[in-house]
Amino acid sequence: MTLYIKNYSSYIDDGLDIKKELKQRYKIDTRRQDRFIHLAVYGAALLKQKCEISANDELYLTSGVGNIDIVQKTNTYMFEESEALKLFDFINLLGNTTSYYVAKTLGITGKNIFQISDNFTYINTLLSIYSSLRESKKDAIICTIDLISNPEQSIKRVLGVDEETKVVSSVNYQKLSLKKEGAIASIEFDIQSYSLDKLKEKIDMQKAFFSPRCSIKKDTDFFETIASYEVNRAIKERRDMVFVDCFEDRYKIIKSKNEKLY
Amino acid sequence: MKSYINSYELLCDAGDVKALMDAIYAKESAITVDKTYIEDATAGLGIMQYEDIYTLLKEVVSKVLKESNLEDFHNTLLILGSSVGGMQECEEIFYAQKSYENIDPNRYSMNALTDYLEKEFGFYDSRAISTACTSSANAFVLAKRLIEAGAYENILVVGADGLCKSTVLGFYALSVLSGDKCRPFDKNRDGMNVAEAVAAILIQNQKKENSIELKGVGASSDAYHMTNPNPDASGAISSMQDALKDANLNPSDVEYINAHGTATIANDRVEAKAVEEIFGIDAFVSSTKAITGHTLGAAGAVEAIVSCEAIKRSLIPPQANLTELENKNINVPLEPVKMRVKNVMSNSFAFGGNNTSLIFGECI
Repeated sequence: MTLYIKNYSSYIDDGLDIKKELKQRYKIDTRRQDRFIHLAVYGAALLKQKCEISANDELYLTSGVGNIDIVQKTNTYMFEESEALKLFDFINLLGNTTSYYVAKTLGITGKNIFQISDNFTYINTLLSIYSSLRESKKDAIICTIDLISNPEQSIKRVLGVDEETKVVSSVNYQKLSLKKEGAIASIEFDIQSYSLDKLKEKIDMQKAFFSPRCSIKKDTDFFETIASYEVNRAIKERRDMVFVDCFEDRYKIIKSKNEKLY
Repeated sequence: MKSYINSYELLCDAGDVKALMDAIYAKESAITVDKTYIEDATAGLGIMQYEDIYTLLKEVVSKVLKESNLEDFHNTLLILGSSVGGMQECEEIFYAQKSYENIDPNRYSMNALTDYLEKEFGFYDSRAISTACTSSANAFVLAKRLIEAGAYENILVVGADGLCKSTVLGFYALSVLSGDKCRPFDKNRDGMNVAEAVAAILIQNQKKENSIELKGVGASSDAYHMTNPNPDASGAISSMQDALKDANLNPSDVEYINAHGTATIANDRVEAKAVEEIFGIDAFVSSTKAITGHTLGAAGAVEAIVSCEAIKRSLIPPQANLTELENKNINVPLEPVKMRVKNVMSNSFAFGGNNTSLIFGECI
């Protein structure tokens, strides 16, 4: 299965005050939203300034664990501090609230899905998009987002990584299409998963990039949707890439090809 | 490649599939008018008695596996739709201990229920959809597309949501919660009933005896307002028309619409307008949420089963709790209608203008 990337945006947490940036630089109303929504909308604003978005584009938000912060916040209000549930905290609890703000920012009125899986998150969503675009003949926007909650221990426990693993927040977007025309890169993937031995037969292990979850190489800080970040980085650095994601003893492969090189 | 519904089961406040259908046709609401959940107010709630939602999930999914032609789910994709995932258990522990210390973070994320089922049954792949009240309906959309693409042969769609303080109090804060049993499409309706349920449906690319076909899916997002649908009904109309187009059917081919019908002022007015515009009085329409309450992320799956049962039984569900119909240009039956039901549309709509329509039909 192949999807073509028309454009992309990436942000990995570097200490930027995103709320302030959204208000001052992008003139976006940030009221009633939380950190998770701000991060998603910031990535959307970065993408919007780079490419044209059609109102009919399909929108897919995906995350390894979703918005853990807001669950902790609402419970603390209701039970620890005996405060009433705040209306917008309740609304922000729901997955498609983030999708709503992203759709608003991008001007999208097409299909809008919030999908979570704590394993093969990016590949799973690419598969959803590929199967949908075959029928709809539209383009799609994918937003992959992971926010580190406070304290970090919570998210590490949810992700199933050890205390020493460095985790980081990140948001990545790609405009995807089944059509090659105007593409800057392509990504190849499928549902097949491999054992480590089979994987070694399939790819050059020395040249491949691995999710830090795989415990094979740990070049970068971890977040569940890191595959999308690495694809964007490969496009930016004008190179092809083989990326391996893993969960327990299963491995899946994504191949990204920089179309501008060929 | 076509998608066939080959086995299913559910548990909700009215009971299992048989008990629910009996309640629907008898117009016996399973809603409880609760005086304890909210301080100084009554709330119509769909409450179940069970140990924990994980046990409930295992029970329902085990039944579907037993009724299927599969020995296990090792070659099956799991797509679970839920609005709040494992929040119920997290709330209970936090409420009792006023601390997060003893909460397993793996059991409060949106995909906690998916994780549990994946480990329990060994699914090949899994994912969770969380789009509030369209969550499990969107799981059907995805399932149909994945089967068409030849990616999977077997997909288990699960809709699951347990009753949580956060959701009940959240809808109360939004002033859309009825203090009584809800009255979909009634002129004097005063809001919805939050409820809980677990429903599981096995979708396969192979037709079996008694299969129902998932013929069409449509989804749209009108992004009009965070909690209200566009009053011109364009979002609902778009998803319904997309589903008809996907099924290659005309409105006259659909005999029954299982409405989203939450009994909120905004939803029912807009949904009735959309049904009026597309179907007029040619199709029967009713909301079975008058019996079950609104099971949130599970609603799409629960109502998919109701839709399949209406086809199999050749019996259209009547509207319960209806005294005076608000929109008289739609066809809402007050009693069960015995007739051949070839195609049923099931609507699910959610916050953020997220709209999903599914069409189930008899296999020819």
